[in-house]
Amino acid sequence: MKAAPFAYVRPTRLGDVVAELVRADEDGGGKVIAGGQSLVPVLAMRLGRPSTLVDITDVDELKQVDLIDGSLRVGAAVRQRRVERDFRGVVPLLSQALPWVGHREIRSRGTVCGSLAHADPAAEMPAVASCLGATLEVTGPGGARRIAAEKFFSGAMTTCLGPTEVVTAVRIPLPRQGDGFGFAELARRHGDFAVAGVAVRVRTRGGTVEEAAVTAFGVSDRPRYRDLRDELQGAVERAGVDAIGIARELGDAVTAMADQIVTTAGDSHGSSQYRRRVLRALATRELVHAYQSSLEPPR
Amino acid sequence: MTALHALTTSLGRLSGGRGTVAADAGTLRVRADETVTVSFTVNGRPASVDVAPRVTLADALRDHLGLTGTHLGCEHGVCGMCTVLVDGDAARACLLLACQVEGADIMTIEGLGKADDLHPLQESFGRHHALQCGFCTPGMLMSAYDLLDHEPGVTAEELPVKMSGVLCRCTGYRNIIDAVAEVAQANPETVPPPRNCSTATLLPRTSVGGRRSIRPDNEADARPSAVEIRMPQTEPTTAIEVDDDVTARVDAVWDVMEDTERLARCLPGAELMADFGNDRYKGRIRVSLGPVKLAFVGDIHVIERDPQTHTIRALAQAEDAGGGSVQADVLFNVEPRGEGSVIHARAGLHMTGRIAQFGRSLASDVSRDMFKQFTRALDATARGEAPTLVEPPSAIAIAAQLATSRLRAIRRRVRRAIRQRLKREE
Repeated sequence: MKAAPFAYVRPTRLGDVVAELVRADEDGGGKVIAGGQSLVPVLAMRLGRPSTLVDITDVDELKQVDLIDGSLRVGAAVRQRRVERDFRGVVPLLSQALPWVGHREIRSRGTVCGSLAHADPAAEMPAVASCLGATLEVTGPGGARRIAAEKFFSGAMTTCLGPTEVVTAVRIPLPRQGDGFGFAELARRHGDFAVAGVAVRVRTRGGTVEEAAVTAFGVSDRPRYRDLRDELQGAVERAGVDAIGIARELGDAVTAMADQIVTTAGDSHGSSQYRRRVLRALATRELVHAYQSSLEPPR
Repeated sequence: MTALHALTTSLGRLSGGRGTVAADAGTLRVRADETVTVSFTVNGRPASVDVAPRVTLADALRDHLGLTGTHLGCEHGVCGMCTVLVDGDAARACLLLACQVEGADIMTIEGLGKADDLHPLQESFGRHHALQCGFCTPGMLMSAYDLLDHEPGVTAEELPVKMSGVLCRCTGYRNIIDAVAEVAQANPETVPPPRNCSTATLLPRTSVGGRRSIRPDNEADARPSAVEIRMPQTEPTTAIEVDDDVTARVDAVWDVMEDTERLARCLPGAELMADFGNDRYKGRIRVSLGPVKLAFVGDIHVIERDPQTHTIRALAQAEDAGGGSVQADVLFNVEPRGEGSVIHARAGLHMTGRIAQFGRSLASDVSRDMFKQFTRALDATARGEAPTLVEPPSAIAIAAQLATSRLRAIRRRVRRAIRQRLKREE
């Protein structure tokens, strides 16, 4: 469990990070490291052998967290535990999801953006970014660009990021009036990879459902987003505000969704069918929960 | 002698070549086959290691600094054995590259408590039998400390999830949770501070000359003038107190103590290298323990001489070629007793680097035995005989003394246990 040798560069300016990535790319392949909580195990098991690690944690501008244009903008070197501690409740769904990311010891070093760039299909951060319609800021030799989370993830541990590009920040929209959220995941033990999980955002106005975004994770090769606005609105119209009634009315729609998006094959921890059932239960519960909290007056 | 074994192993590894570091526009660049010097703080004391980029913090702590209390289990971030605090937050030392912790403040299990001054968490683990094989215990303790530090009001019901970052293969979770819950309940406001971390300003590395500027085997390297000795304002790493009855009379012993050159010859392996005047000296001392050879070069300043009470107090600081350093505050006093006299020696030693690897009890055993040899040599010199020990203490002699002092300690412990048992039964 010792990593193969690699070179290490730690620039202090963003421009130098890109230059180092270009140089490393010509020299056998570089990889960005921030917290390293997903990358170092890969190196330790020699599943990946980049020639150079480019450490971005010394670049000051990547350590910023700002409230900007109605979003929480989290720099690429910002650790999960800092967001969890210092920005509690600013983005409620993020605050609900963060305690599920690995363990406290992992979040001490792991970064929000690193979790996005690593794009593990069972990870929480990509699901949150997808559900909230977050935007990733990316810089490469061709300059900076912005990518919607929905387009960013292209497969298991695969993103549309080029080999010489680096994620510099993520902009996560702040909650608006009438927003309600739900988050749940099932894992064999806390901190294990999710068997299935779901992030939900429901927006209502005057009791009418305007949006019902559901992102499932751990059940496919990437976070899977669905808008169940019509289904939720229909269930509310039929059942009123009764939680159990809404859940019952949602049954068919959520079952159809789960059948559609669960593609992960079964393993020793559960069959594909089991994951569908788990997702169905979690999605129904959290949709109701998010709907109800969207009706509560803002604190 | 496992501590000794760990020491020799790490010494072997330390002897590798040092790499170079290229820097441009503030970019640190280390080739895969180079090493880089990383400086950080461990348990309040400054440390620096030369490591290749792929070396993890866990390996740096264990192999380069000899702090083997941090255990390695899975080495890929799953088991939590290697949990340490980095800048106050618990982290997996196996998932951190050593080159990433430049300037960081690290706390390991060695900083949490000492054998004779355990942290309340450690006491509680003992009371609750929260360990079977003990392999996960350092990780559990560091994780628990982090938890209680940041969430002091944590309830017993929350603990199973909050403590889930460290695995125990003996499945002693119930007792571990109970142990942490007890400390959490007893300290609802804040977790008690660590027991073995220096918090005050430490001696800057430059004031002891820097490790490359000192070559114990080359006297030309001796600094031309005395340096100011600054003692850390913290609890010493180890404190030694020795009382030894000798046959020589007080005046004769005091005569030797007044004569620094003769006095130095009484200390096994020691040699006076320079006398700067004003009671400031430079000297060196060699300690040889089997394959381990430590050679310290340093400065001594006698800050107090009292002919009335026959007391000398001196400050010393010295560095070993391998990067370890010692600072000592030593007080000698001789008083008449019966026909002869009693020599009383008291020393507070601050140790960093590889000598701290001895483990505290071993370091104090070695030091105490050296003091004993010193008082005996002092007695012989005072009586006009040649001191019996001018050579560095030999491996066999010290090993034998260690063994006997260990045996004595064990016997003491057994006796104490029997006494306590008897008391309880009364």
